[in-house]
Amino acid sequence: MQLDFATKEMTIKLVYYGPALSGKTTNLQALHAAASGDSKGRLMTLDTRDDRTLFFDLLPLSFEDASGLKVRLKVFTVPGQVIHSSTRRLVVQGADGVAFIADSRVAETETNAESFVDLRDNLEAHGMLLGEMPLVIQFNKRDLPAVRPKDEVAEMAQAGREPVYLAIATQGDGVVETFLALLYQTWKRLEKEHTLSEKFGFDGRAFIANVAEKLGFQGSIEDVLAHAVGATSLGEVGE
Amino acid sequence: MTPDEALSLDQLAIEQKFELEDLLDKGSLGEMCRSFESLFELPVRIYSSSGALLADTQGVPSLYRYLEKAKAGRRAVQDVATGVRRAEPLPGAPVLIEGVPGVLYQASLIEHEGRSLGRIILGPYTDDSQNEPPAALFDLVEELAGEGIAQEWANLPSLSSLAIGRLERHLRATLELLLFSGLKAHMASHMHMASVRESFRELSERNQKLKDAYERLKELDRLKSNFLATVSHELRTPLTSIIGYSEMLLEGIAGEVQEEQKEFVETIHEKGEQLLELIKSLLDLSKLESGTMSLHKVATTGDAIVKDVVSTLTPTAHKKGVYLLSASEADLPPMLADPERMRQVLINLTENALKFTPKGGSVTLSAVHKKEAASDMGGGGSVLMGAVRRSVIEFSVADTGIGISDAEKKRVFDAFYQVDSSSTREAGGTGLGLSIVQRLVDGHDGKISIEDNDPQGSVFIVTVPLKKPPTT
Ligand SMILES: Nc1nc2c(ncn2[C@@H]2O[C@H](COP(=O)(O)OP(=O)(O)OP(=O)(O)O)[C@@H](O)[C@H]2O)c(=O)[nH]1
Ligand SMILES: Nc1ncnc2c1ncn2[C@@H]1O[C@H](COP(=O)(O)OP(=O)(O)OP(=O)(O)O)[C@@H](O)[C@H]1O
Ligand SMILES: [Mg+2]
Ligand SMILES: [Mg+2]
Repeated sequence: MQLDFATKEMTIKLVYYGPALSGKTTNLQALHAAASGDSKGRLMTLDTRDDRTLFFDLLPLSFEDASGLKVRLKVFTVPGQVIHSSTRRLVVQGADGVAFIADSRVAETETNAESFVDLRDNLEAHGMLLGEMPLVIQFNKRDLPAVRPKDEVAEMAQAGREPVYLAIATQGDGVVETFLALLYQTWKRLEKEHTLSEKFGFDGRAFIANVAEKLGFQGSIEDVLAHAVGATSLGEVGE
Repeated sequence: MTPDEALSLDQLAIEQKFELEDLLDKGSLGEMCRSFESLFELPVRIYSSSGALLADTQGVPSLYRYLEKAKAGRRAVQDVATGVRRAEPLPGAPVLIEGVPGVLYQASLIEHEGRSLGRIILGPYTDDSQNEPPAALFDLVEELAGEGIAQEWANLPSLSSLAIGRLERHLRATLELLLFSGLKAHMASHMHMASVRESFRELSERNQKLKDAYERLKELDRLKSNFLATVSHELRTPLTSIIGYSEMLLEGIAGEVQEEQKEFVETIHEKGEQLLELIKSLLDLSKLESGTMSLHKVATTGDAIVKDVVSTLTPTAHKKGVYLLSASEADLPPMLADPERMRQVLINLTENALKFTPKGGSVTLSAVHKKEAASDMGGGGSVLMGAVRRSVIEFSVADTGIGISDAEKKRVFDAFYQVDSSSTREAGGTGLGLSIVQRLVDGHDGKISIEDNDPQGSVFIVTVPLKKPPTT
């Protein structure tokens, strides 16, 4: 995160991680399509001719809080192909939050796990701990056959501490929820570390509600969290 | 830019530490502005936020040249530049500047994600509602009596405020697109370099780890050889006593031995000798492995060694009912070799041949002089190396025995390796012979290979150079 006190600007880096072809770029495209004109910048994709991400995609979003703090969100994707490990390491450096996009198909279970280990290693290479990173997991491609059943995902989700979402990124389903949950997790962490509310009078919950509206999401952050698979209580909200 | 001066990904994407001139090619920008001017007849000037002039199609309008002929006019023209420079447009809010009376400029901001990167200046032009030069303009050139000024005025582009707004938006949108592609190219090349550097760092780290592991293994290997050498040596001393004393018992030095006792002592003696052979082989192997076996190379003739081996093993061949033959070339040139070790090589090979050839078969030893292309020595550059030929003595031990399959041909040289067949199990042995042979041949800069014999059996071929090849 970057804070500029003089211009009252905050820049947050969010990274979409996951195995090759899991739909990271598609998530970003759907997010770009969902965002209203004045809040989104141009989507930059650095890819190969066959649409495989080569270096990263970057979607800049910017919002203004009621307190007057300008918040810029830089949303990156990494290239998922195994050979691009060093590029992933460069992109994930300095991330404030990570959305892990998994492929729901049962056959991809191992690939998802390998990519998750790769994420942990690449974070560690920068002295960051996965356990301390604001994290959201998305099980994408729910429209395909032979996907891991929802009950199973829910069961696993309850065992973990991060919110888990189901998505069909190609249809935009679950994309905004995943993003808002990531923003919420990231804000909680930044608030704890930098006491933004104290320093700037920054109201995170109002801010996220504003972002949700600009992304065309009908509902509050509680609704977003309630959409998570295996979400049982809303107890932690607002703590 | 060297990689270290290059901006990092976060500097580019998060802190946005770049100037207009970092992202735009000055030449292309100039060309774009000229094409804009020729299309819309509206001059353009582009400044970066640091004040650097990046493109300019404005030249000096002929009206200004005209005005400069008069004193007041000259002063007014001089003030134009300052006036334009002082303009402070805001995001989305261009500023209109009047240069000399009635002559207009428009200044607007070039932005990237809310950050100002530079300014666009359009003009000079006149407003299309103003058909005549204003009176204030005539006042500037009083002494010239106003002649020709209407003509110069008419030469300036005349635009409505609507049109200028449209042109400004078009130009700004085009510029921002150029900027975006520039930034994209910048980031791509940055990531490319950074990724390469990162991969290199990773590979170097791995190389170092492999190197360390290799050093450790080498050290372990050395320890193993040492251990083998020490243990075999320590085993040999008491064993020679066992063999010595059993010999003395057999010779009756300690008094008469009964028939049955004699049989037992003979078995002790025989097994002791076998054990001693094994220990000697191990000792040889460990010496060869540690490189501490010294070869005493002298001028040696190959056919002499062959003759010696044949005469040594004829009794064994006879016992087994296998023919042992030799077919050496006469007058072989001498080679530089350790005769005792070369003999050991051929004894080992011939013993094997006899061991794995059934009764009625034959084993043939030969030594011939040959020239071989040096490219056969392995390594590339055969087009160069093929020209170099070296003189060798080629020994061969051919049998008509059970043969060796292609898959086994490489493995039989491994220590303790024996082809798993009932005939091997019957034949006994430890599987050390060929590994010792291989190392002795290596010690002579020679080569060993196995071929199939026709119609059956194997041929072991050993080549030893006449002289040591020049070290490369
Ligand atoms: N059926 C289905 N296909 C999807 C879904 N999401 C993405 N895809 C498809 O999966 C393919 C890969 O998607 P991308 O978004 O390019 O994947 P990526 O994770 O960015 O891949 P890399 O850049 O190689 O790491 C594309 O053909 C998408 O159309 C989904 O929810 N359902
Ligand atoms: N001429 C041959 N014909 C067929 N097989 C052979 C021949 N020479 C060697 N071999 C195979 O290669 C194996 C290894 O040979 P090597 O001389 O190393 O060991 P050995 O003869 O079994 O034992 P040692 O020589 O230690 O007493 C043999 O066990 C045998 O299976
Ligand atoms: Mg991608
Ligand atoms: Mg042998």
